Amino acid sequence: MSTGRPAIEVADVRFRYAKAPLLEGLSLSVPTGETTALLGRNGVGKSTLLKLLMGLLKPRHGTLRVLGLDPLRNARELQALVGYVPDRPDAWPWMRVPELFRFFAVHHPRWNPDRARAWTERLGVPLDRTFRQLSRGEGMKAMLAAALAPDPEVLLLDEPFGGLDPVAREEMLRALVGALGERRRTVLVSTHELDLAARLGDRVAILETGAIRTEGPLNEVIGAGESGAAEALRVRLATADGEGW
Amino acid sequence: MLEHTVRLRVDPTRPSSPSVQIVEGILDAIARGALGAGEQLPTVRGLAEQVVVNPNTVAKAYRDLEALGVVEGRHGSGVFVTAAGVEIARRERRGAVKVELQRAVEAAQATGFTREEITTEVERCLAATGRARSTPRQGGRS
Repeated sequence: MSTGRPAIEVADVRFRYAKAPLLEGLSLSVPTGETTALLGRNGVGKSTLLKLLMGLLKPRHGTLRVLGLDPLRNARELQALVGYVPDRPDAWPWMRVPELFRFFAVHHPRWNPDRARAWTERLGVPLDRTFRQLSRGEGMKAMLAAALAPDPEVLLLDEPFGGLDPVAREEMLRALVGALGERRRTVLVSTHELDLAARLGDRVAILETGAIRTEGPLNEVIGAGESGAAEALRVRLATADGEGW
Repeated sequence: MLEHTVRLRVDPTRPSSPSVQIVEGILDAIARGALGAGEQLPTVRGLAEQVVVNPNTVAKAYRDLEALGVVEGRHGSGVFVTAAGVEIARRERRGAVKVELQRAVEAAQATGFTREEITTEVERCLAATGRARSTPRQGGRS
């Protein structure tokens, strides 16, 4: 269904923090207009991959392109076209949501205050409390509203549902489905929940020991044949939940 | 519209993909008469928000239904059940259900159920669903 160049392209990327290599030849592409759910244990490099795509980290080797742009060379241009939700609310604790949005309005070339207002209303984000006083769910909803305000072509979402209570999780999920219905968007979303991967993902990619090990439609990836692979992965994800898939 | 006549749900824990579940749900709705020839399906966006899946998944389901000849897109105005759609939906879903019943019977026989026990179990299932479904569905022939 997609034509032309994939909106997100990662080829043979290597990255290491001081002590140990993390990504060792990671390649992935997300076709324009599609959603890929990125699955993998905590610490396997999901957040790092998203940060590399946002130009917040520099790879030792390999190439990354988002909408054809190099995240390092074209950081400003790229960040204007991409909505990024980090794995925790990224704002000063003394700030209120309207203050954060005023900051974005100055610095973001495509900021749309009407959309920001509409999404905070739809998500029920409290406007009168500081980020310190917001729950994790409220803070993440504010981050999602901020990411959607410029109507981005690409969304990079880092565990947006992690640690949310069931109500906040459902609100975030419904908001994302609504945002996907607004226009064609390309999404890379990291999660450890198969339910979310199935609802949001056209495809899933499993990141393990430095690279994407499996990639494809969820039911093919985990339900291939009668080998019990689906059950095995479910058990793996379920039992590893506490330790952080 | 489908939202009002059919409670379509997607269960990601089932082995079939969400888009296949949507295809089956709509075929069932057409097969039992809840959605008739010429009637309009919900918009892709509307159904995606109702069942909480990516709109791409609903769009794929609609493309598959169109390939089956069950629905047709009329440019600009939406997606509608075709004249032949009802018959195709009944054939598709009744065929699929017969295969499932056949499998269930074979499983029962493999476990040592007698013909009488299988018949009794089927009667019990019918009684159970009869109690659960107190209001008969509109147009549910046969």
